[in-house]
Amino acid sequence: MSQTNADSLEQALEQHRHEWVEKLFELGRELKRDKAGLVGVMLITALVLMAVFAPYIAPHDPTDQDLTARLAPPVWYEKGTLKHILGTDHLGRDVLSRTIHGARVSLWVGAAVVLLAGGFGVVMGLMAGYLGGRTDAFVMRWVDTQVAFPGLLLALIILAVIGPSLTTVVVVLALNGWMVYGRMTRSAVLSIRQSPYVEAAEVVGCRWPRVIFRHILPNLTSPLLTLGILEFARIVLAEAALSFLGLGIQPPATSWGLDVAMGKNYMFMAWWLVTIPGCAIAVTVLAINLVASWLRLISDPQEREKQFARHMAGAMRKKMHATIKKELEAP
Amino acid sequence: MKKYGRLLLAAVLMVVVLAGTGWAKAEGITIALGSEPTTLDPQIREDGGERAVNDNIYDTVLTRTPEGDMMPSLAAQMPKLVDADTWEVTLRSGITFHNGEPLNADAVVYSIKRVIDPEFNSEQISFFSTITDARATGDLTLHVITDGPDPILPTRLYWLKVVPPKHSKDPKFAENPVGTGPYRFVAWQRGQHIDLVRNEDYWGPAPQISSVRYRFIEEPGTRLAGLMAGEFDLITNLLPEFTSHVPKSVNVLGLEHPIIILNADDGVTKDARVRKALNYAVDKQALAQGLFEGFAQVAQGQLLSPSFFGYNDQVKAYSYDPDKAKKLIEEAGVKGQTIELIGTSGRWLKDRDLVEAVADFWKKAGLDVKVRIFEFNEYLNRLFDRKTRADGIFVVSSNELLDADKSFSAYYKAGGIGSSNTDETLAGLIDAARSETDEKKRENLYHQAVQLAYDQAYFVWLLNIEDIYGLSARLEWPGRVDARLLVREMQVR
Repeated sequence: MSQTNADSLEQALEQHRHEWVEKLFELGRELKRDKAGLVGVMLITALVLMAVFAPYIAPHDPTDQDLTARLAPPVWYEKGTLKHILGTDHLGRDVLSRTIHGARVSLWVGAAVVLLAGGFGVVMGLMAGYLGGRTDAFVMRWVDTQVAFPGLLLALIILAVIGPSLTTVVVVLALNGWMVYGRMTRSAVLSIRQSPYVEAAEVVGCRWPRVIFRHILPNLTSPLLTLGILEFARIVLAEAALSFLGLGIQPPATSWGLDVAMGKNYMFMAWWLVTIPGCAIAVTVLAINLVASWLRLISDPQEREKQFARHMAGAMRKKMHATIKKELEAP
Repeated sequence: MKKYGRLLLAAVLMVVVLAGTGWAKAEGITIALGSEPTTLDPQIREDGGERAVNDNIYDTVLTRTPEGDMMPSLAAQMPKLVDADTWEVTLRSGITFHNGEPLNADAVVYSIKRVIDPEFNSEQISFFSTITDARATGDLTLHVITDGPDPILPTRLYWLKVVPPKHSKDPKFAENPVGTGPYRFVAWQRGQHIDLVRNEDYWGPAPQISSVRYRFIEEPGTRLAGLMAGEFDLITNLLPEFTSHVPKSVNVLGLEHPIIILNADDGVTKDARVRKALNYAVDKQALAQGLFEGFAQVAQGQLLSPSFFGYNDQVKAYSYDPDKAKKLIEEAGVKGQTIELIGTSGRWLKDRDLVEAVADFWKKAGLDVKVRIFEFNEYLNRLFDRKTRADGIFVVSSNELLDADKSFSAYYKAGGIGSSNTDETLAGLIDAARSETDEKKRENLYHQAVQLAYDQAYFVWLLNIEDIYGLSARLEWPGRVDARLLVREMQVR
């Protein structure tokens, strides 16, 4: 008896794993079809790996200064050296190493804030939009109040309590950024809750948490993804602003945004201080955009339908061309 | 009809363009400051932006030549000591304020009483702390009374801007300043600009420049761009890297000394060997030549410039000796221990860069340096926190009186607003010097104080920064050692 039970459990697990792997393969196949998405995924993987293995990749210690070799240009200039391929900053630190290390803070802050603020904001928006009434009034007035409250003041208060650190930056930015998710989710829920499938779920007797998380939330994936991406880019720069004021991360740690902010003063004579970390930000945002637009396509049933139709039409066209060709070639 | 309309339009446009560029610029200049004044009351705040504007609207009782020598201004001659704690000041006759109020002994007495009034709570009180009273003895003569002998009273009077007794009681006084100076106030558009125009009835030599507009641009890069575009004629705190880019630049050995105050009573820095090691560890020459591109001098182991009263030329800077630093730190047994270094960002020229550079030097000497860059207000809280002193606090001391007393009372003397030691001997020397009227003896006391602080390494003395100004091609100005932006000394070609 127990034998068969274990068997079936193992079998079930096996089958489940199968399904899971199958789904992953399916995802891979879809990714292969979308070239832009593939590039995005590859870029993000590379960036994350770069952040994780920064100490092994970076040619120098990012805090190692050399005041006699400050503001050295990149290697392709006459005065550039191979020692500092992308030049040095105003304290003679290697720009390439700083950019590699900066990825750690920037990616971490960006991801953490978007997840925290997004998670909280979406839950609040779902509840406000679906439950309506007092919940709605309460949440929306809370959002209004906080939007009216100056963000820097909030940052200062938090700073006085827990002191500047990476955690502070994440907390401050998340506290300042969740409202936009809340508002957007609420407005989307207001229109979706009238749709037949939500009514059907209600009639069947689903309780509200199930309705909002199981039936409504998946249908909000595409707009929320887009919003999250837009926010990510903003957060990377907002972190820089806080850090530059002394409210954020502390030296010798660095981030892309902070390096841009610090290099700004030297822009007229040393463009690489701003441009290189700036490019890193741009590439990250681009990669995330590519992935997001791909995710949006595959997460939206209507888009999938269109894509499928396009795919089928393409195949049919090919087949047709082949037939015509064959007929023409035939004597 | 249509044709005429177009002609008219063209004519109007031409007039507007000419008025906008050519005419208005003729003898007026625009100065870009780093910060907007918080008020235009010359006696309440200790604020660089306010000073830059009001130095041109108000006159002081005494003034300095561009090289730093004292000379009478509103006073007809240098003040005379009538007894140990009373000075007699005689004023020039025939001077009036811009609103017609006469400048007489009563006005000066009123100004002194106003600024030392505890109710008024002036931030400039440290400049006048020894003055207890003033009284008029004639229409143009007055006595200034100090608590005990005060040898640097003339220096204090150099700081005293004289305000009109009637108008200064107006609640709008802080927005509508009226002085005796070479320029009159015209308008203040908050966040935009302040306009001044030449005072045609000025008692001194008439200035050449007819009007001044002050603009407030925080970012050094933006100030530079404005100068290059011809928008500004003078910008302050030019980055040393850009001196070769601007049409003209002026550099004067300034009053600013960046130092690090070490906590001599607690933490790793309690040990004098560690404090010395921290001095040996920093390559001051590299900071001056590298970070400041040669526009700074290595501070000679004291918080004074050679031109200041009390400067001890026997004391030289700690040499750069990283091996000695490492050895001292190992001897003291603090290798690898944490040392906290507090700084701020954007307040002084390259403040954050200096802190980061010093932190790296210390790290190489074998300490774990924890840098904390605070937003300016929070930074001030830490700097003036009397209960818990951080191991190291970066500060840029600016001594406008050019006399050891101000810097030493604030940072050297136990209990001073920014001091981190409890050395009674040092405090005794500073107190004794403060009331010593014999100049030689007084100087000798400061020499001893400098030597003592140096031997104990209460600070890491870094640099003496040069003030660098960027000028447009048409402006002529030699600069001043006291960093005052006196428009009457400027000329437009």
